[in-house]
Amino acid sequence: MILRRLLSLYGLLFFVFVYAPILLVVIYSFNANTLNMMIWDGFTLDWYRQLFGMETSLTQSATFVDSTDQLWGAVRTSLIVALSTSVFSTVCGTALALAVARYRFRLARFYRTLMMVPMIMPDIVLGIALLIFFITIGMNLSMLTIIIGQSTFLISYVFVTVSARLAEVDTSVEEASADLGATPAQTFRKVTLPGIAPGILGGWLLAFIISMDDLVITYFIAGTGNTTLPIHIWGLLRRGIKPEINAIATLMLLFTLVIAAAGLYFRSRRQK
Amino acid sequence: MTPFDTYPAGLLPAGSQDRTPMPSPLEIIDARKSFRTPEGGTMTALDGISLKLASAEFVTLLGPSGCGKTTLLRTISGFETLDAGEVLIDGSAVTQMPAHRRPVNTVFQRYALFGHMSVARNVGYALEIAGRDKREIRTRVGEMLELVGLAGMEKRSIQQLSGGQQQRVALARALAAKPKLLLLDEPLSALDKNLRQKMQQELKALQRELGIGFIFVTHDQEEALTMSDRIAVLAHGQIQQIGAPTELYQTPANLFTADFLGESNLLPVTVTSGRGCLPDGQSFATPHAPGEATLLLRPEALSVTPPDGHALSFTGTIRETYYTGTDHQIALETPAHGTMHALLRSGGALPCLGSEITLYAPAQGLHLIDEAAP
Repeated sequence: MILRRLLSLYGLLFFVFVYAPILLVVIYSFNANTLNMMIWDGFTLDWYRQLFGMETSLTQSATFVDSTDQLWGAVRTSLIVALSTSVFSTVCGTALALAVARYRFRLARFYRTLMMVPMIMPDIVLGIALLIFFITIGMNLSMLTIIIGQSTFLISYVFVTVSARLAEVDTSVEEASADLGATPAQTFRKVTLPGIAPGILGGWLLAFIISMDDLVITYFIAGTGNTTLPIHIWGLLRRGIKPEINAIATLMLLFTLVIAAAGLYFRSRRQK
Repeated sequence: MTPFDTYPAGLLPAGSQDRTPMPSPLEIIDARKSFRTPEGGTMTALDGISLKLASAEFVTLLGPSGCGKTTLLRTISGFETLDAGEVLIDGSAVTQMPAHRRPVNTVFQRYALFGHMSVARNVGYALEIAGRDKREIRTRVGEMLELVGLAGMEKRSIQQLSGGQQQRVALARALAAKPKLLLLDEPLSALDKNLRQKMQQELKALQRELGIGFIFVTHDQEEALTMSDRIAVLAHGQIQQIGAPTELYQTPANLFTADFLGESNLLPVTVTSGRGCLPDGQSFATPHAPGEATLLLRPEALSVTPPDGHALSFTGTIRETYYTGTDHQIALETPAHGTMHALLRSGGALPCLGSEITLYAPAQGLHLIDEAAP
């Protein structure tokens, strides 16, 4: 009985430990205290107003920048990068997963393992490697290099997600389709693809979120003039923590939750 | 209506179907196939199999797992290609034809239904692929569902169906495109016993009604005996024997068939000049060629009352008895022949465990297998 109580308490503490800091960020983002955000000074939406360039009662010294153009530029860059990378990675990762799962060829298991490596590779190593690679082949750092660089490891995430789904899809369903007269292309479109669609969607959303969030690797290969949101925030932080950052973090959190919820929703609908 | 009236061809022994002008729904000529095992060796799955169907036959491929029956089925459906040999469907060679172009359909072991589609779309899949118009598909789907006893279930999702219903959908789906030949890969193995027996009868009735050939794969000998016009017993990639169930049961050609199909007592016999001699000295008249052979005695051939005329007798101690309602199964330990199995009609005196009894078998019309006993 006591053991059970202790276990419950441990569980509670665990979740407090994990979620309290995040919750604090959300709470601080509504704190009206401009000088010390640790002290609650009343509710305000000013930090959000400031981000969206609306009239606020804030003084210049309380915020990072007078214009939020840079911030929204970074958001735009991040969205373009995340969208391109996630779509590219999803197509490549899905194709790879299909090949490894459905065709028998030499070294198939070796390739499967090889696909896992980018996920456990230290980000810094990957970042440096990519930077050296791009410089060696004489490619100027741009949004394109970010997209290529992020894809190298995001393909792995999609590969793993889709592979897991493929393992669940019975190959006899594909045989049944062929047996009923469907060409390989028809079978893929009508049977295989709907079967692994939740995995593909999941992989795509995962790739999108990770891309939006990636700092270390992107930092190495972004060059100047291609500031993604995480790099922009990193830049802001170097000038001290201001309450504005809480609002940005809260919005990012909300965005991620919405995407994750959408993923779960589609997944549950498919599995019904 | 008996099958004899409608489909006499189905019951004719192989070779006599030459009289029918129709091409055979399926002919397999000297099929050979081997696989490479993960250990680096080769495994021969099909070792020269030839098989020809008279039209509208229900043929069962029966054998233990690994005997090649599933491989044979998959070479017919086109999922495996032969190393050598020919497959002809409806008179034309399909050996090199990919699965999706062959005019046969399969009922898969675990049904392999499309989980993301409704019952109607599952059943109409082949027609949808063939590009038939919507109204035709809807009519045909309705007919098919009616045929398998699922009328009005078009809109259900697969997950809402029970195992038996899924089985029926799989059957309707395979029949919707009017295949020349229906292949069934152990379709009843996932059903419980009562449902399985019901489906056995329904499948047999369906085959008669449709008048198309069924190739049914199973490892269940009872199922094979119940349903088939002919059974092909497979082992080690070869057909051990093919024939009508009664033929296989009563006059098996070899020890494997005798042992695999039903219970059997196999006694060593030495034949010399028209007489078979058992190890304990009893003998009987037989037309069998001189040499070592094996006498097959089915458990139900033994009885407690001596038959008229010359009879073989076996005396021993009852070691086990099982009461099944209609019969007593007993295991008799005899000094000369080891353990023998007998099936005695219930109603007579109950055989008592440990008691000594004598069982008799008529000494006429005994079947000898041309192989020395194991």
